[in-house]
Amino acid sequence: MTDAPKTDEFEINDYIRLDQMPHFLCPGCGHGIALRALLWAIHELGIDKDKLAVVSGIGCSGRLSAYIDANTFHTTHGRPLAYATGLALARPDLHVIVITGDGDSLAIGGNHLIHACRRNLNLTTMMLNNEIYGMTGGQVSPTTSAERYTTTTPAGNTEPVFDACALAIAAGAGFVGREVTMQVTGLKNLLRDAIAHDGFSFVEVLSDCTEIYGRKNDLGNSPEMILSQKAQMRPEAYRNTVDVPFRPNALKTGILARNARPEYGSAYRAMTAGIREKGK
Amino acid sequence: MGNGPTNVLIVGVGGQGVIMVSKVLAMLCQKHGYEVKQSEVHGMAKRGGGVFSHVRFGDKVWSPTIPEGEADVLVALEWAEALRWLNYMNPKTGTFIADTQKIVPPFACRARGRGEEPGYAPQTPADIMAQVRAGYAMDATSIAEGLGNLKAANTVLLGALSTTLDFSVDSWLEVIRQFVPPASIEINMQAFAAGREWAQAGDKRVADSPEGLAKVEHHAPVVTDWQITAEWCKGCDICVKMCPERCLRLTDQLVAELHKPDLCTGCRMCEWLCPDFAIKITNTPIAEAAE
Repeated sequence: MTDAPKTDEFEINDYIRLDQMPHFLCPGCGHGIALRALLWAIHELGIDKDKLAVVSGIGCSGRLSAYIDANTFHTTHGRPLAYATGLALARPDLHVIVITGDGDSLAIGGNHLIHACRRNLNLTTMMLNNEIYGMTGGQVSPTTSAERYTTTTPAGNTEPVFDACALAIAAGAGFVGREVTMQVTGLKNLLRDAIAHDGFSFVEVLSDCTEIYGRKNDLGNSPEMILSQKAQMRPEAYRNTVDVPFRPNALKTGILARNARPEYGSAYRAMTAGIREKGK
Repeated sequence: MGNGPTNVLIVGVGGQGVIMVSKVLAMLCQKHGYEVKQSEVHGMAKRGGGVFSHVRFGDKVWSPTIPEGEADVLVALEWAEALRWLNYMNPKTGTFIADTQKIVPPFACRARGRGEEPGYAPQTPADIMAQVRAGYAMDATSIAEGLGNLKAANTVLLGALSTTLDFSVDSWLEVIRQFVPPASIEINMQAFAAGREWAQAGDKRVADSPEGLAKVEHHAPVVTDWQITAEWCKGCDICVKMCPERCLRLTDQLVAELHKPDLCTGCRMCEWLCPDFAIKITNTPIAEAAE
């Protein structure tokens, strides 16, 4: 990371495509808050927009790349990590950020996610978890909570829930974190650390789908949904001070795992350089 | 100080070393053959709450607590705590020793409006010095910080306390040595000497730092400018519900508007939580705005 950190005030209009605004997201969708936090983190790191590549898949989250005024790539369903892997290997000078959703990265793109974690290529993945396939009509997703109603589970969801962060840690991601959208500055700091991390970083953002998921499950309007998410969280930074049994079902937030495994891209480039040397 | 017990009341905020100061004093008195009784409320350190300790010593001490208005010396490690316990000091014979540093409790900041005064004791050290018979309002924290460790502020106050009680300097230092961490013995010795020297320079002295106190300010004075892009707002209600001051509302067209600008503190919560980037808050420091 050679860019000098910026200290001037963050102005979101410098980072979004104003001709695309207002965005297509439903009223109260947490994705917008997450997008602000991501752009804020990019601003704080002082990353040049020409050196920023945002790759996204399909879904509500996939549309976010269209609003970022940088090099953006709207790819196929579940495969943003595959495209991003190629991009990061071919252009190591770029900061590659993947925006994906829970259905996008855990269901159809589950394999891509675990192998991206395993390779530990220098990428940042922001997974927006709203517990549903929102854009396609509200089908059940791997993270839909138990007993919740969706269009494909009219009698309530009976499938167990996928813990995306546990999956990423198990698959060997270098940096894993989770945050709720209510904690904007915390999310910004987490994303900043994730982008600065040398290796694969995975951030799960708990977003809210008010229109399709919240309405069907009687979870209230968007302020109520994001506040209830905040009430569930248990920041890892306070792990030793907060009484754990007090909230047994709490969601761990903050940096959940951080390890310094060798980064795949540099190892790959060293290998190809060695072959070129031999060929001469 | 008469034939009855000598009463020393030590007060402060959790974590400052009230208990350490009272232990030093109690041990010192015990070594000089007095009967000592000490009672305290502790465990407040985690909460930043008030801590007090009553130390009574003499030939015979019956009760462990000091009655109101009978403390011979009031040692306060924090300014507001000093004022809170002022009525326990004997108005005719008591000596007042206090650090002028402020530790502002969160509930003193409940009035969050623009230009609100904090709910913290407004009396200045000079006001209090005019009321008490004898005393020192010293900036012990700054003295300790100057020596290299502001944790030694409590020992600076012990140095001032040593001028009012009849114990030799050597016996004070010997006891302090037992109670402070081995690595900080040297700095505590210096802090004790500095406090004693400060107190010996004259009674009823007030620290010369400006106003004698760290200035407490709620908000940096700023001019807040609001911009709400109505075309982008989708009326999701997040800003209205999340505003700590409830100064926003939705219009009939479900667009956010600022209806109580006076209440806004410029905290930017609405701007940060707006998923549609429709709110822009600009806080300009007043000094810059005037230019």
